[in-house]
Amino acid sequence: MSYLLQLLVSGLVVGSIYALAALGFVLIYKASRVINFAHGQFIAVGAFTVYALVVYLKLNVWLAFAAAILFTALVAYLVEKLFLKPLVGQPIISVIMVTIGLASLLDGLIHLTPFGGGNFSLPRFLPEGGVSFLGVSVSYPQLLAVVLTALFLAGFGWFFQRSTLGAAMRAVADDQMAAMSLGVSVEHVFALAWAAAGITAAAAGFIVGTVSGINLESLVAIGLKVFPAVILGGLDSIPGAVVGGIVIGVLENLATGYLDPLVPGGGTADVFPFVVLLLVLWFKPHGLFGTEEIERV
Amino acid sequence: MRKLAVMVFLLLGFGFAQKVHLMWSGAITGPTSDAGKYYAQGVEDYCKYANEEGKTGGLTIVCETRDDQYNNANTQRNFEEALERGDPAFLGYSTGGTLQLKPLIQEVGMTYIPASYHIGNIDPPDNDYLFLPIVSYSEQVIALLEYIAKEKPGAKVALAVHPSPFGRAPVPDAKKAAKELGIEIVEVQEMAKGLDYTATLKRFANKGVEYIVYQNVAGPVATMIKDAKRLGLKIKHAAAHYAGGPDLLRLAGDAAEGVIWVTSYFMPYEDAAGAAFVKKLGERYKRPADTIESVHYPSGMLAAAIAIEAIKRAHEAGKPVTGDAGREAVYAEMLKLSFDPGLAVGPVTYTKEDHVGVDHMRVLRAEGGKFVPITEPFQSKLFRKVHYGK
Repeated sequence: MSYLLQLLVSGLVVGSIYALAALGFVLIYKASRVINFAHGQFIAVGAFTVYALVVYLKLNVWLAFAAAILFTALVAYLVEKLFLKPLVGQPIISVIMVTIGLASLLDGLIHLTPFGGGNFSLPRFLPEGGVSFLGVSVSYPQLLAVVLTALFLAGFGWFFQRSTLGAAMRAVADDQMAAMSLGVSVEHVFALAWAAAGITAAAAGFIVGTVSGINLESLVAIGLKVFPAVILGGLDSIPGAVVGGIVIGVLENLATGYLDPLVPGGGTADVFPFVVLLLVLWFKPHGLFGTEEIERV
Repeated sequence: MRKLAVMVFLLLGFGFAQKVHLMWSGAITGPTSDAGKYYAQGVEDYCKYANEEGKTGGLTIVCETRDDQYNNANTQRNFEEALERGDPAFLGYSTGGTLQLKPLIQEVGMTYIPASYHIGNIDPPDNDYLFLPIVSYSEQVIALLEYIAKEKPGAKVALAVHPSPFGRAPVPDAKKAAKELGIEIVEVQEMAKGLDYTATLKRFANKGVEYIVYQNVAGPVATMIKDAKRLGLKIKHAAAHYAGGPDLLRLAGDAAEGVIWVTSYFMPYEDAAGAAFVKKLGERYKRPADTIESVHYPSGMLAAAIAIEAIKRAHEAGKPVTGDAGREAVYAEMLKLSFDPGLAVGPVTYTKEDHVGVDHMRVLRAEGGKFVPITEPFQSKLFRKVHYGK
């Protein structure tokens, strides 16, 4: 029983990291209908910024984290202004190609810094070990991941429900024309959505760096791993990103725990979530919480 | 005035020295670039050093490091370019790229030295022109199993391998060796980069696994070692060449204490001529500390040293060193190459039958944040028996 419980808790932890990474993805899609293939690179920008500030400038890790959030948000904001804004109204395939190109560009730029290749680790700032309950163990970095994810989700939940800017962003997501007629600057909202995605990307990068070290390829891979999470949850749903991320994390762990022994070599964690994803999409093509768009002729 | 004359003379000499191109194609960006970046720097620096110190027999070796992004198609394109240019040898990188190029390498007769130590590279068919710089992954893993069998007879072992030809390479030989050694391989788990390995570790623990042997890269191994420590498991960890090293220590921190690792290279802090040489070269070419500490830096140097030595000897024997004849001449030298560049724990020796350069390795243990050798250089007793049946 404690084995199953451990798998579920570990899945929840990993899933909450996916959820945080997926959140940025959804924020951009929700506001501007853009699928950002460069999200993993933003996660890397956040992680390397924290590392650089802590190791080179000897900044306190929390200060560095705050600075990295601001910096990544600024980079994402500028990227939107420079590359995405001119594409408003253009075919979606053009926008997708731009984000793919953006991923390559950011990759290349990161490789020009000392961080391109190599493995890096943040100096330890949390106590060793972790907490144990009912035979289940969770490390402090993993606990931090869950807490930060919960804080960010609560923060964004409040922002979208209670703040004027959040309401404006929701209005743009629902109906751009109606929002514009009420005086909402759609351009401004698009850029802010990218900045908000930059914030969550920096947080995800910091957490991944704390849990498993900092490596460009791994960070970019996290950005791609959230695809099944957001598709499962629904591309335009914030609760969907959370549920999707956690479901994928739990499924990965259950597959490793129960299916790997049955398959020579194991590795079912990389496949099983996609099988479930296909089954879910069969019955709910818009994902678990995605908006079902009905067009009437 | 005299200084000026000497400089002009040297410049003229450099200008007139025959140029021979030597290309390395590997992952400076993309997957495994955490190793490839340093490997490329090793190739570049040894090449500069050899030219500057006159270790090229009067030739100017123009080394070129190309980023193939761990993409086999790019590797092939680079190889074909080197071939058309008339390069006499080629420095490769990945297992996949090398295995894919084997028929072409055989067809054109180009000496090929990969960074992949997959035994399949030098096994038939199409294996005449491939040379491993150090012992194969299979021999490394069997050496670890031999060490484990000595430390804990009848031990239960799990293999945690990279989900690729690189990771799977030593599995068949390891299974045969385990039988001979009386230890049990409980499970072979393919292990990609992940954020948490609790499920795998708990499963291993439930099956009574006492050792995990890693044929992987440092990132996932570090996470697994940290998770094992957090879970309070008494499992011991043993890493093959690419799974361990300073990268593992950096990522796993204290959790890496006690990890054993097998490699043929020296550590930069060791009191050995080879270690001092690597450090000196790194400082001379203003490499940062992480480069000098990386085990992939001397690995790149060794590959370049082998190719340059063979080219030099062919040239000194009065043979051509470019084009078809150059490839033939350098290959002929490779088959009788025996020298000690001091970069690893044994000399480089090749013959027609032996395409492994450095035949020795050591087991090291992580102690106080450093890998410390705990054996003298040795060869696996069992490898030849299980792999070649002799």
